[in-house]
Amino acid sequence: MKLLPFEYAVRNLGRNPLRTALSVGGASLVAFLVLGAAAFVTGMRQSLAVSASPDNVILLGTGSEESIERSQLAFRSAAVVAASLRGIRRRLGVPYVSPEVHVALSVTRTASEQSGRLTVIRGVTSAAFLVHPALEIVQGRVPVQGQNEVLVGERLADKLGLPPEDVAVGRTLHFDGQPWTVVGRFSAPGTVMNAEIWTALTDLQVVTQRDTLSCVILTLDPAQGELADVQAFAAQRLDLELTALAEAEYYAGLDAFYRPVRILIMLTAGLIALGGVLGGLNIAHAAFASRARELGTLQVLGYLRGAILVSLIQESLIGHAAGALVACGLGYALLDGLSVRFSMGAFGLVVDGAVVATALGAGLLLGVVGTLPPAFRLLSAEIPESLRA
Amino acid sequence: MSFVECRALERTYTRGDNTITPLRALDLEIEQGTFLALMGPSGSGKTTLLNLLAGIDRPSSGELRIDGQEITTLSRAALARWRSVAVGYVFQLYHLVPVLTAYENVELPLLLHDLSRKERHRRTALTLELVGLADRHDHYPRQLSGGQEQRVAIARALVTDPQLILADEPTGDLDAEAAKGIMTLLAALHRDLGKTLVMVTHDPKTATFADLTLHLEKGRLVSPATVGADAPAEGGA
Repeated sequence: MKLLPFEYAVRNLGRNPLRTALSVGGASLVAFLVLGAAAFVTGMRQSLAVSASPDNVILLGTGSEESIERSQLAFRSAAVVAASLRGIRRRLGVPYVSPEVHVALSVTRTASEQSGRLTVIRGVTSAAFLVHPALEIVQGRVPVQGQNEVLVGERLADKLGLPPEDVAVGRTLHFDGQPWTVVGRFSAPGTVMNAEIWTALTDLQVVTQRDTLSCVILTLDPAQGELADVQAFAAQRLDLELTALAEAEYYAGLDAFYRPVRILIMLTAGLIALGGVLGGLNIAHAAFASRARELGTLQVLGYLRGAILVSLIQESLIGHAAGALVACGLGYALLDGLSVRFSMGAFGLVVDGAVVATALGAGLLLGVVGTLPPAFRLLSAEIPESLRA
Repeated sequence: MSFVECRALERTYTRGDNTITPLRALDLEIEQGTFLALMGPSGSGKTTLLNLLAGIDRPSSGELRIDGQEITTLSRAALARWRSVAVGYVFQLYHLVPVLTAYENVELPLLLHDLSRKERHRRTALTLELVGLADRHDHYPRQLSGGQEQRVAIARALVTDPQLILADEPTGDLDAEAAKGIMTLLAALHRDLGKTLVMVTHDPKTATFADLTLHLEKGRLVSPATVGADAPAEGGA
């Protein structure tokens, strides 16, 4: 099949600049929305996936596998585990066993503020820095016990909806009716920890009036320990009421928990894209209908309807590709890394190659789907009918 | 064997409950190299016959043989290929592609043939020169007068060197002077290149350029063949 010259498709875009602008704008809008939705989904999934260390095991209270905040463990659990369980990684004799308390509290800048944002506060010991290797203190120091001091994650300001200077080292935050001084800032890129507040374990236990732990996180030595050993230990020590989960499994559960949210977001983007398709159909129909005679003439010259259809699709794809590229450029500039708050903390939108490809694909698909019905309708007419149009 | 042979050619359309028959059992033979004018009132079947000869419409019944090829049995794709080789069509309203230059419009049918770029250029330039537009290669249709646009359309019809040229009211949208220029050109091309030319017209003056004028009425031939210059004067309908 001999095709029409490519220049024909390109130059047709200049026939009606307003119509072309609407078409490119529509494609751009749809691609931008799809890119935003895909960046959200990717960012959320990556934050949950990155948060897990491969050799880490989480010990939770029996029956609370889905939520660390609801979990309760006896305070002695960490010491018992460290002393009894073989295969735990050690450094200079110090076991990688981190007893932790996780609570979600309302955090404000001043004592007088009535309502703040719920934020995960994690009470930890120095062992936490062993089992969470992704975390790095980038400014200041670790909190000293008994001083109401906190260490804040890099995305905390985003999570609280505050300017970064409000959570800088030296500033004070308020939760549970008490002031807490920021003495350090940490970075744990791409993880849920990045939007948390960390403080000394006993300080948090005191203010929350609890003598239990939320969880114990331990790191296995891959050469000596296995998850099955920890699970066997948890099963045998009925007095501790423990459940052992691989950290990856725990975050996979969270990932599954948030799947409906992601589906809803993609569905919304899809519905908006559908609106874009309908708008595109109108634009394409108007654009092609005004050229019925010309398309009939091309058939008189000997061009097959398939060749004309290819040219119409080329024309549409050029416009839609331009729109989608603009959307991807804007999306990368405006959305990549943008913080989004959710109940676990905050995560950054991720505009990576796959996300860009998804948005480009959506833009191009819109071009093809929006072109076919009006093109088929026009080209199905007999030639004399087209020439009389 | 004649160049064009129509046997009991009939075209019927159905519009709702109505059946329209613009062409009824037409028998016609046209010899190669003839310049034939088709005249008749609106709805007499002139354009329908022209469309059938061009292979852009199909008869409801009958036979149509052109240069020995029965075209009523060809598939849609085969018919398109046949058109690209055998027929040149000139429209009343030129139907040039507005986003292409005069040169590109004329070159357009050649892209369907396996020709080198150089050969396409040679043929396109030669044909534009033939219609007197050698200096208008880069002009877009909107930059040309009606007469010039029709010359480009004629060049487009001629560029593939088809044996049959069909023209549907080629001067219908032109002023008298431009119309005379176009008819002089068509007559000269017919004379010099020996093409078979079938032209539909309402205008008796235009018909005088043809060798032969046939009259159609209600889908039938109503007058015997007459030599061009002696064609009876007729009011356009």
